[in-house]
Amino acid sequence: MASDAVRQDFWREKHVKFFRRCLNVLPEQYSSLDTNRLTIAFFALSGLDVLDALDVIEKEKESIIDWIYSLQVLPDDTNKNISQCGFRGWRIGAPYNPSKESSVCLAYDSGHVAMTYTAIASLLILGDDLSRLNKAAILSALRTLQLPDGSFCAIPEGSENDMRFVYCASCICYMLDDWSGMDVDMAATFINQSLSYEYGIAQGPGLEGHGGPTFCGIASLVLMQQLDSIFTNKQIERIKRWCIFRQQSGFQGRPNKPVDTCYSFWVGATLKLLGAFEQIDYSSNRNYILSTQDNVTGGFSKWPDCHPDALHSYFGVCGLSLMKEPGLNPIHAAVNITQRASSHLSKIHEQWRQDKS
Amino acid sequence: MANEEKPMEISVSDSEPVWVFYRDRGDWKDVQPLPQDDGPAPIVQIAYSAKFRDVYDYFRAVLKSDERSERAFSLTTDAAELNPANYTVWHFRRLLLKSLNKDLKEELKYIDDVIEEHPKNYQVWHHRRVVVEWANNADEELFFTKNILDLDSKNYHAWSHRQWVLRQFSLWKDELEFVNMLLAKDLRNNSVWNQRYFVISNTTKFTDEVLDKETKFAMDMIQKAPNNESAWNYLRGYVFLCSSLAEQFDAIRKEYWSYVSRSLAVKYGTLAQE
Repeated sequence: MASDAVRQDFWREKHVKFFRRCLNVLPEQYSSLDTNRLTIAFFALSGLDVLDALDVIEKEKESIIDWIYSLQVLPDDTNKNISQCGFRGWRIGAPYNPSKESSVCLAYDSGHVAMTYTAIASLLILGDDLSRLNKAAILSALRTLQLPDGSFCAIPEGSENDMRFVYCASCICYMLDDWSGMDVDMAATFINQSLSYEYGIAQGPGLEGHGGPTFCGIASLVLMQQLDSIFTNKQIERIKRWCIFRQQSGFQGRPNKPVDTCYSFWVGATLKLLGAFEQIDYSSNRNYILSTQDNVTGGFSKWPDCHPDALHSYFGVCGLSLMKEPGLNPIHAAVNITQRASSHLSKIHEQWRQDKS
Repeated sequence: MANEEKPMEISVSDSEPVWVFYRDRGDWKDVQPLPQDDGPAPIVQIAYSAKFRDVYDYFRAVLKSDERSERAFSLTTDAAELNPANYTVWHFRRLLLKSLNKDLKEELKYIDDVIEEHPKNYQVWHHRRVVVEWANNADEELFFTKNILDLDSKNYHAWSHRQWVLRQFSLWKDELEFVNMLLAKDLRNNSVWNQRYFVISNTTKFTDEVLDKETKFAMDMIQKAPNNESAWNYLRGYVFLCSSLAEQFDAIRKEYWSYVSRSLAVKYGTLAQE
């Protein structure tokens, strides 16, 4: 159904300001994001990158890079905290340390797989060369997070395990150009077993197919280069169908649920990875995404006339970028960063490979 | 700054206790609070309340000294209330539950309230699961998840917890009835259709009889609401299942399963022909 509604305006400048503000100070009611500040930083930085507006933070780049590195949990001399390495979500008392050398090691001071993923991605966006990462420690800690069913926990102390963390782990291995951080076959099997009877992917076996884990599962397989070995052509065709059926105006995450801006990315990016993105209705999708813009503060929310937040703002602009909205940088759908940041990563990989040989 | 020095909660009635900062508590005098060191140019700062700062400065200190005490336990309650997404708070609370040999039933009652307030928080659901596992008692779980589903019948966390409980404690007996009850309320609730598939794949499995019964069930539902994607997907799921049974699991009856798949396709249109 082609929509012939009036072409709505995209408030680019307002969104730049919105992401800029996310990097400053959030009001008290956002206290529950205290353990996720790196994720918010990623949404804002990658959002600015998609908007081709990283110049607004040009002067702060170096200090932001330092701040990100200061969240890295490093191994001490004895390596006794090696399974705790990665990037921490909140500061449990270690002194600020942006270097690669560990100063103190505290009990309970552990990396979180989603923070490690968003920290590395943010460093790439800022043009850092990743030289201060302790790759070996990150990969070693990552291995301890994988469970016997192939899925991942978020922290070494134990947490829920689901498709989100399989995706974070895959992105980490891909970005570090080293898959020794996981048992790939086990992770791929977990994804296969989480395919629901509807041909959406669920957070885990038996659960309901859902737009978020469908992206996480497919993108992980793409990064692992395992998509074709894990799913048959017939299965891929059915997954495409399930995704295509998620479009109502924008996209919903599950059948008979309301549409929500972020699924224009989760489902849209999945279709892009499966080579079926052209089968969606661009103009209805675009109109829905734009209807969730806040034209006063900038930013996007999940529904029209709601409060905008960093996550929906980021996935809103990504949803538009997938449809080649003018002025937006194209994204690398599987790693969820711009193609610009992804080419920077390729150069780092090249350098690493040269250094090795 | 002046505002920061004042307690955030002021008593409005005798029944509500006055909030006293940890730094002003006589029984915490021996502890040196540990503020966060966020460096010279922090980003994504949060304008923490004075209470948040106070509680977390003391929580950091307790983590550092690994203090396993009653007062540390009640500190985790305050810390969890201010940020229920703080996974370290919940982890440390679990260590304290063990160290102090706390009553797990009490803990479950407490977590009832936290989940009711934050029904979509991953950390609190995980905490519940661990405590249920430790107590090895799921008596309240089906009732509890039903209550949460009464508020939002598509809450993914509640369904996920419920599936874990059903599997872990083999509580399948009344689940199909529960599914039927929820479908009667809303036959478009996709989560319930998924639960139906989950129950059948874990109980009766897909025998001939079940295939017949379930495809007929889906057809009846489709007749009631022809535009209901959930019911169609359920039916498609069964048709696909027959063809994959043929291909993978029951090769010796390959011809038979292809026949069943073909006849379902003929009966219900061309949906299987892809």
